[in-house]
Amino acid sequence: MNRLWRHWRLKTKLLFLTLFTSTLGISLVCISLIVVENQNYRSQLESELHVIAGIVAEQSAAALVFEDTKQLADIIESLRQIKSIRQVCAYNASGDIMAALESQKRRPCPDMADEHEEGFVGNAYRLLMPINLDNESVGQIFLTSHLGVLQSHIRTFVIITVTIGSVILLALVFLALRLQRIVSEPILQLSDTAEQITRDHDYSVRAPVSGNDEIGKLGENFNEMIGTIEQQNLRILESRDSLERIVDARTADLSLANRELESFSYSVSHDLRQPLRAIEGFGQALEEDCNDQLDATGKDYLRRIRAASIRMGGLIDGLLILSRLSRQSMESEAIDLTGLVQEIVDELSNTDDIVPTTVEIQPGMRVVGDSRMLRIAFQNLLENAWKYSAKTEARHITVTACRDDDEGFTAIRVQDNGVGFDMRYVDKLFVAFNRLHAPSEFTGTGIGLATVFRVIRRHHGDISATSEPGKGACFIVKLPDHPNGY
Amino acid sequence: MDGHSILLVEDNPDDQILTVRALKDASATSPVIVLEDGQEAVDFLFNNSKERPGRHLESLGVVLLDVKLPKVSGLEVLRHIRSSPLTDWLPVIIMTSSDEPADLAEAYRLGANSFVTKPINYREFAEQMTVLARYWLFVNKIPKAGTIGSLIR
Repeated sequence: MNRLWRHWRLKTKLLFLTLFTSTLGISLVCISLIVVENQNYRSQLESELHVIAGIVAEQSAAALVFEDTKQLADIIESLRQIKSIRQVCAYNASGDIMAALESQKRRPCPDMADEHEEGFVGNAYRLLMPINLDNESVGQIFLTSHLGVLQSHIRTFVIITVTIGSVILLALVFLALRLQRIVSEPILQLSDTAEQITRDHDYSVRAPVSGNDEIGKLGENFNEMIGTIEQQNLRILESRDSLERIVDARTADLSLANRELESFSYSVSHDLRQPLRAIEGFGQALEEDCNDQLDATGKDYLRRIRAASIRMGGLIDGLLILSRLSRQSMESEAIDLTGLVQEIVDELSNTDDIVPTTVEIQPGMRVVGDSRMLRIAFQNLLENAWKYSAKTEARHITVTACRDDDEGFTAIRVQDNGVGFDMRYVDKLFVAFNRLHAPSEFTGTGIGLATVFRVIRRHHGDISATSEPGKGACFIVKLPDHPNGY
Repeated sequence: MDGHSILLVEDNPDDQILTVRALKDASATSPVIVLEDGQEAVDFLFNNSKERPGRHLESLGVVLLDVKLPKVSGLEVLRHIRSSPLTDWLPVIIMTSSDEPADLAEAYRLGANSFVTKPINYREFAEQMTVLARYWLFVNKIPKAGTIGSLIR
């Protein structure tokens, strides 16, 4: 019932309430009217019968004293004309029946010795009245009246009352239907407005407000609230616009800076390499053409000059790759990592290297990312593993991967059995130009791991390393399934 | 094939000396014409040819063009060479200090025959020049300049 009630429309509820209360009220009025009428009619009947009985008793007193049964019978017989009287019995002082009016033979006059129930009994009214003459009891009269008249009167009364009640109820319903609009219409309008705003997100709509009652105030407050929302929306839009303008300006600045950086790195790659090439080239020419004029020290110096320029060339190349990695746009494709690692290892195996080498590559490794960038990253990682395990008796490198489906990334482990490094300096590992080994031990530019770090960060991934001096190093690269960050 | 000359367009004197030296190692018999900027190269190829078309062209076997040149850039010179029927047959090798991907793509789009990055290590550079000179001067065949010109006319 409660659930049904909640789903009804306001109109229906109002109508239901009106109907319910009016029906209840009218019914109560009808019932009370009927009860009162019933009561009145009964007492009227009762007094009528008393009067009749009184008259009969008075008339028949003389006849009873003189035992004139014929006159007595005439008197009693005259009562037959009163339709509501069913039975009349006249008794003398000693209780014998002197005359009787019996409509039905089945109901003989009762014996006076028996006790008589008086008043309304079942379907009849009974009355026993003493007959007195000069203050001396000469007999009794017993009178029974049936209640058919009463019942038919009450029935008619009920029909009339119910009919009038129904007519009033119908009139009330009609009135309620008309009047409830006065109350429900503003609420419905308010509800419709709210619905329209929710549907269209048009906050310029206002609910019509009428009157100063609670509903009118509700409408005013509602409109005020919508006005506030509209203003706030406007402010949000304005701030979004200004944010967009700022972003546009910043983007323009950034792309300008990017273009400048591009032309800068172009100049670096072209203009810095040219003099280096001259230094190295003329050093070589000097060595070839003027060899006999140089002593051992001169030749050593020359060799150092040439080696330094070649090393600087390597640095410039590394820096260029690093700067390009930050600038170039990133593709996102599925990559066969096992194949990629295998290609790099094949290239490394072709270099002059006499250390016996075992490389284990887990089959079926797949990642998502930019293939050119990831090739550079894994090239650097594997070159490092190769380089730093060059002084072992047997080189052992493993590349394995494991998926983390919950977090949505693949972790790739590159493990070697080389010299490793001290974990105290792990912070410097991925910073450009920071090296953990002297050039005399292992050659290098200090850019390789910075490049790897840049590639992995551009994939929104992560890289970490663990090692112990002399026990090899382990690099763990975490690459997300969605390297573009969505 | 012997006797075809090489046109080298290179602004940096150091690079001129080193490149000529490397080319001499590869083929001592081929003369090397050295020009210092892009405008000079365009003048050399086209101005002279107006009076006596093909005077220089006929002897040319290959053009080595540096990307970064004063006045008219190497890629501009390449565009000129490819847009004239007098010169569009010439093998052109673009040489650069940097391996800028944009230059690489543009050079091939304009019709370069080859694109090489000059390594810092001179020994590598000399080897590269030897391979290039041997291929373009002795292995590769080119049509006679005069024949092309008369066919067009």
